[in-house]
Amino acid sequence: MEDLDNSAQKPVATAGSRKSGVLKLPLANRCGPDKQPCSNDEGNKNPAKSRSRRQSLWYALYFPQLSELSESQQTQILTELAGLAENVSATVSFHSQALVCEIRSSLRYFGGIDNIHSKLQSLIVPALQNRSLGDSFLYAASPTVSGSLLLARSGHNALVYQKENLRSALGKLSVDVLDLQKEQRRRLHSMGVRKIRDIWRLPTEGLHKRFGSNFVNSLSKAVGKSPEPTRNYIPSPEFSASYDLAYEVENLHYLLPVIDEILIKLRDFLIQRDLSTSRLQLSMIHEKRSRTEIDIGLRQATRQRDHLLLLIETHFAQLAVPAPVVGLELEVRQFDAFLSESDALLTEEQIGHGSKINSKNLDQFMEQLHARLGDDALKSINTVAEHCPEYATQQLNYTDRKATGKPAEVARNLRPFWLLDRPVQLTLRNGRLYHNQAINLISGPERIETSWWSGQEIRRDYYIAREQNGSRLWIFRERLEERQWYLHGYFS
Amino acid sequence: MAILRDSVTQPEANIGKAFSDTACNSRGTPRTRVNQLLHSNPNLWRGCDMAGQGFHGVATGYRELDDILPGRGWPRSGLVEVIARHSGMGELQLLIPLMQSVIKQGKWILWVAPPYLLNAPALTQAGIDIDQILIVKQDTPCKDALWSMEKAMQTENCGLVLAWQNWLPGKVLRRLQLAAEAGDTLAVLFKHNDSKYSPSPLRLQIRASATDNRDFSRAEVTVIKARGNFRPLSAQFSLYPESLSA
Repeated sequence: MEDLDNSAQKPVATAGSRKSGVLKLPLANRCGPDKQPCSNDEGNKNPAKSRSRRQSLWYALYFPQLSELSESQQTQILTELAGLAENVSATVSFHSQALVCEIRSSLRYFGGIDNIHSKLQSLIVPALQNRSLGDSFLYAASPTVSGSLLLARSGHNALVYQKENLRSALGKLSVDVLDLQKEQRRRLHSMGVRKIRDIWRLPTEGLHKRFGSNFVNSLSKAVGKSPEPTRNYIPSPEFSASYDLAYEVENLHYLLPVIDEILIKLRDFLIQRDLSTSRLQLSMIHEKRSRTEIDIGLRQATRQRDHLLLLIETHFAQLAVPAPVVGLELEVRQFDAFLSESDALLTEEQIGHGSKINSKNLDQFMEQLHARLGDDALKSINTVAEHCPEYATQQLNYTDRKATGKPAEVARNLRPFWLLDRPVQLTLRNGRLYHNQAINLISGPERIETSWWSGQEIRRDYYIAREQNGSRLWIFRERLEERQWYLHGYFS
Repeated sequence: MAILRDSVTQPEANIGKAFSDTACNSRGTPRTRVNQLLHSNPNLWRGCDMAGQGFHGVATGYRELDDILPGRGWPRSGLVEVIARHSGMGELQLLIPLMQSVIKQGKWILWVAPPYLLNAPALTQAGIDIDQILIVKQDTPCKDALWSMEKAMQTENCGLVLAWQNWLPGKVLRRLQLAAEAGDTLAVLFKHNDSKYSPSPLRLQIRASATDNRDFSRAEVTVIKARGNFRPLSAQFSLYPESLSA
């Protein structure tokens, strides 16, 4: 992109230096035959006023190759590219298959638009190549967001510095660059409208009537007559804090005050951004050894300092460090939106017995258990609609628990509370069954036959029985092969 | 009649002091002296006041059991030991009505290291919402199991803590008892053997009904020790509702 205009160094347009240009497009020095005068005219007569109202310059990057990808992929790629574009501009906004960044404010720093362009190209082309999306993109710069987008879409790679030149620059473009519906496109075509310039010759009222106000609005946005709200790129937050200790520490509990300090920083960081966290990593740095890392996962995102400190303390109780600690680092692995909780207006007694107790304490308790016992120590159970008794119960890790709406239907016959891991074979002596003592059958049989399709056929007759010592047993007899007796559970 | 309420938690020196105090200071009839003594020492009270202890317990769901428990029900908080020499004595069935009421309050039941697999359909049959059941896995070390019991009792959301530990020293039991009282939670400890010197305020033994071993439903519960009780009582009753008994 060539820079014909020297106002890059002097962004404020004064009446004298208005010889601005449109690159690779015929220059237009004056306002087109307009019904309205250019909006900037009055402002430019008063230099002081126009200086205070700096025009911004929007640099649009258009990626036509994205159109083949799904929407989520597009968003992902654009977010990645926006991160790169942040190198040249503080304001990056998202548009369909395009990014727009404000570069007027960084012209002086980079020393002209050419430098900015080559910097962007060197950053973005490799990123596109990495994803095998070609090695080019279309670009344009102009004082309005929509104007830049239209210019970029036309593939002219144009640069327009002044707002008053924008109109003529856009006028040259074909109507195809406008984001139109098929019907609107057809209608424009049959009206003999080929260029955007042709649209401007038509009366606005009629345009409103035929194409709707959105259409007119988008055109007036392009020439800077209406405001253009944009959705800006906000970089994802990152938090990591480290602390170098003045001396080596072996007792981990001496680290707690330092950690508390870091946690205060973390809390302030989270409060400022209205976030909370659900995954943290605390690393303890040792001399000449790899660091000890603690992963802290939270059931419910929080930014409470004392809760986090309590969790870390619980972790410490279980932890043995291989060497003295010389430094600490805390890193947030996952941020979550902060959801505040409102207290009930009435106290619990007034609400009555049916009320659910707040789940926050419970979650904190679970996290503490997780921290001490490990992730797979807590189980919850679930019923499964299954005839075979050993498969009718499902033990899940508490963290994998799904909120099950309705429990599966369970057997009508009485089931014992305890099931043995694997059934214990019973002995049969002189026609009597024995486990520890003699067994008397009380009721049964209940026949369970299932899984014949899987090759591990189950054919059993279940009985409720009582041992001589009073134990209530759930026993079964195989109906296959040896017809052995087994103990399967206890009616506790 | 004055009796000693809890010889384990209160050192005997205290009682001796109370006696000597009253002996020195009081004049008047023996009755006023006894009254004075009862006032000055909270560990002494009249045995005949037993009946007046009221209905402060949580109904067990078994009328016969209510009758033999002080306060006519399970205590609201504290440690209960249930002794069943073998599994399958009906020790869990005994607690089913209690569990139902805990679940109904929206609280959770924590099962700390149960000895066997917990059978979910059985709980559903008993009318217990399994969504509010939480299990600390079977092979948890004793130290961690006790730690999680203590933590659970301090959490207001846990209404009942069930644990299976056979040999616990008195010091540990005392600590659990204190945690249960502080957290206003009931903890039930299932054991195979009774230890005479256990400081838990309530110890029950459940065994098969002596009269008929072929009857599935009947069980005999003996109160070995209860704070506020002065002789062992036992009751025989049917654990299962009629419809379910075989």
